[in-house]
Amino acid sequence: MSILSLHNVSKSFGKTEIIRGVNLDIQAGERHAIIGPNGAGKSTLFHLISGKYQLSSGRITFRDQEIQNRPPYEIARLGLARSFQVTNIFPRLSVFENVRCGMLWQQGLGYSFRHLLGRQTELNARAIHLLEEINLADRADFPAGELAYAQQRALELGVAIASGADLIMLDEPVAGMSLSEAEAAVSLIRKITKGKTLVMVEHDMNIVFDIADRISVLVYGEIIASDSPQAVRANPKVQEAYLGEAALAAAGDNDA
Amino acid sequence: MGKFAAWVGYLIVLLGLPQLFDSVLAITIFNQMAIAIVFALSYNMLLGQGGMLSFGHAVYFGLGGFMAVHALIMIEFETVYFSITLIPLVGGLIGLIAAVFVGSFSTHKAGTVFAMISLGIGELVAASSLIFVSFFGGEAGVSADRTFGPPFFGVEFFQDVEIYYLSAGWVFVSTVFMYLFTQTPAGRMANAVRDNPERAEFIGYSARRVRFISFCTSGFFAGVAGGLFALNYEFITEENLNAVTSGRVLLMAYIGGLGYFIGPIIGAVVLTLMNSLLSNYTELWMLYLGMMFVLTVLFLPRGFAGFIMMHQTAWLRGKLSSLFLPYLITGTPAIMFGGSILAAIEMLHHEGEPFGFLFLTLDSGNTLHWLALAAVGAASYFACRRSLGQLNVAWEEANRMDNPTEGGPG
Amino acid sequence: MLEVFVFSTLNGLVTGLLLFMLASGLTLIFSMMGVLNFAHASFYMLGAYFAYSISLKLGFWAGLLVAPILVGTFGALVERYALRRVHAHGHVAELVFTFGLAFLIEEAVQFFWGADTKNYQSPDLLDFPLFTLFGQEFSAYRGFMITISVGIFLALYYVLTRSRIGIIIQAAITHPHTVASLGHNVPLIFMAVFGVGTGLAGVAGVIAGPVLTTFPGMAVVLGSIVFVIVVIGGLGSLGGAFVASLMIGLLQSYAIASNLGMPDLLNWLGLEFSRDHPLNDLWTLTLPQIAPVLPFLLLVLVLIFRPTGLAGKREE
Repeated sequence: MSILSLHNVSKSFGKTEIIRGVNLDIQAGERHAIIGPNGAGKSTLFHLISGKYQLSSGRITFRDQEIQNRPPYEIARLGLARSFQVTNIFPRLSVFENVRCGMLWQQGLGYSFRHLLGRQTELNARAIHLLEEINLADRADFPAGELAYAQQRALELGVAIASGADLIMLDEPVAGMSLSEAEAAVSLIRKITKGKTLVMVEHDMNIVFDIADRISVLVYGEIIASDSPQAVRANPKVQEAYLGEAALAAAGDNDA
Repeated sequence: MGKFAAWVGYLIVLLGLPQLFDSVLAITIFNQMAIAIVFALSYNMLLGQGGMLSFGHAVYFGLGGFMAVHALIMIEFETVYFSITLIPLVGGLIGLIAAVFVGSFSTHKAGTVFAMISLGIGELVAASSLIFVSFFGGEAGVSADRTFGPPFFGVEFFQDVEIYYLSAGWVFVSTVFMYLFTQTPAGRMANAVRDNPERAEFIGYSARRVRFISFCTSGFFAGVAGGLFALNYEFITEENLNAVTSGRVLLMAYIGGLGYFIGPIIGAVVLTLMNSLLSNYTELWMLYLGMMFVLTVLFLPRGFAGFIMMHQTAWLRGKLSSLFLPYLITGTPAIMFGGSILAAIEMLHHEGEPFGFLFLTLDSGNTLHWLALAAVGAASYFACRRSLGQLNVAWEEANRMDNPTEGGPG
Repeated sequence: MLEVFVFSTLNGLVTGLLLFMLASGLTLIFSMMGVLNFAHASFYMLGAYFAYSISLKLGFWAGLLVAPILVGTFGALVERYALRRVHAHGHVAELVFTFGLAFLIEEAVQFFWGADTKNYQSPDLLDFPLFTLFGQEFSAYRGFMITISVGIFLALYYVLTRSRIGIIIQAAITHPHTVASLGHNVPLIFMAVFGVGTGLAGVAGVIAGPVLTTFPGMAVVLGSIVFVIVVIGGLGSLGGAFVASLMIGLLQSYAIASNLGMPDLLNWLGLEFSRDHPLNDLWTLTLPQIAPVLPFLLLVLVLIFRPTGLAGKREE
């Protein structure tokens, strides 16, 4: 059953068409990676799905509801959460407050000014638990802006998953990390997206082939292949357009 | 429990002040402080908590105040019948209504656009208030008499001290509610939207709606402050809703410290004291106020409250006492340097006539005085510069984490 | 009727061009540094006061030459030693700083020159009517004001579009980071632009002082209007600021000169209200009465319906 579907989605900035008629189906529970060369429009696609940009044409459905061109907060409330390529947290709030804010809406607290956060024992326990999961419990009271880079990336993930959304979209979650940090991040991503649907953009092919159940290849705003990792790797169109011999060899080595 | 004790202490201070100082001047100052505290706290709700820089916050204060005076007039002419203790609520409701109207289009964006709209609305309302004479009373303003209402448990509010106790009650209640607001989802999301409006939208919140809620709440409390003003002075003029008043509340909140709940209270107290006491000593107090403001923005971006909070780490680690001596060594010449600058300014101002400065008598016609002043100024400047290094070392020492895993700023 | 129209147009033109001299500096500074300088009109006031003091000793022309340089130098120093420091704390802190600076300069002016109006005179050389129209004189000094303003506009336009530094500034307006990464000393450019911008405000002060009177409140009178112009014109747009300046200048001039009002409108509609109606103030409203409000009304409307201004591209 598909949880998210894109039908003929296009996006132009002025005369430049960045996304050209993308069709994509994400199945509930799968881990789906979107890859493609720089400037292929991967982040733009994320922005279109999550409501940051307006579509030029096409339709997007999430759990059978049309979500195209709705504001981001309405889409988020339906259970679609996302992270950002450039860390996008609340720098002056504490680490704890960051994840707790991420939980508020789904807890039904909305814009309430009748509830006191200090009294929400269950909510606070959940926030602490999430911090433990992302290994930031000992930094709970730090202002988020003062964390080290890898910790900020972990918090970025934490804020995204805090709402308990079913569909999680991660935009280059390990970009800029060292090898060991990236490994830790990957196991963290596996852990926290268990039982959920994951859509991620990633450049590191090792990680992509490691995590993904299915891969879509986006080149110049068009999906040229959408299949299992093996099939994508074998696809001559993909090889020609994107992967290249070197990357293929690297991926193969890793598999062996 | 610590928080509860702090609130009890706050209430005791509010109620105890007139017992300690009972002169007419003191009560006048306390009344001004009460008004300023509520007003500055409401302003901080916008700028400090919500990241909205307003140059027209006096609009809500003033409109609330004008309506409160009109309510007093209505009580006097028996059009309506209720206790004047509820007048601040009238002001608050008018502030809220005005804020709902303005906020419906001004909270779309924070930043420069919001600031400019607030400036425009402020000028519009101030100018309109001079045109619509029947409601605003033109340049003379409108006045009323607060003593016509039904007595409140036998109190008829003839005296300023009675108004003070009433104000203190309103100040306490307003402070409690404004603090509680910061602890609600709406209040916390205001911080989140201030920090990063984009991300707030992706966790389910409309940044505009969050700002709107803060804006309206802030307008309500500004109106309450306006109502307190009306009760205390029994008149109100155009000046209470124009740019001067808007600027003053920005000054108070900023000098006190925007990031901290207690900051605006400190700012309100300090500025009211300067306003009333300093103006008795020197005609130049406005100049000094401007200097203090600019210096605060330059060197204490988090205000007085921020300066106090800077010492939290050292205090928690029990090392605050080690800073005492270095502060004394650097602070004394720093104060002397500041003092000699002030003395020079005063000497320029009192050209040709001797005047009292602290315990000295200075005369700008006396070259010796100028030379002595220059000597003191230069000496204290160099003493201050020289000891600054030691202060830095002591500061680093008091705040250094011995063991990084010990973790947390406390 | 025609004579009122012609003279209102001329007066509006003088005011508009004067406003543009302030607005051009303000909008240049904004586009470079992203900061709206609240103290901009205070530099204009300093220009008038400096020129006044110089004119007492050396005459008007020396003031015209020296005062703007002094003001510009002071502006550059403010940028170098204060604004740059505050910049680290973000835009709100910058805006608040310039707000405090405006306050401080006004107090300082009162301290050094006193609270009274200064008798700052236009030069005798220009003390003759340039032409007489419908029996009314148009003074040569006003003609001189127009000449200077237009001259500055042309010079500015030339520098920005033709010279190397102008092209760098233009580039920095749209692509500040690229310019920095190309190796240009952006802090130095900032300081220079701030200095030139405040210097232009100084020129405006020097030539406006004799006409609009030199007193400590003169900055406040023009300050928010200039803000309005820059916002209406579109933050960062020089052309927009030019159009908006003339628009506001003419609008105010016409509104003051006309004696139309609500009574005329009501007459025309055939309506009548009694004098003691509670909304009497509204029925008797006249255009000269609301002239000072018009710019702010425009400001709010523009910000609501077109936050980028008439010609602006960047929003923040």
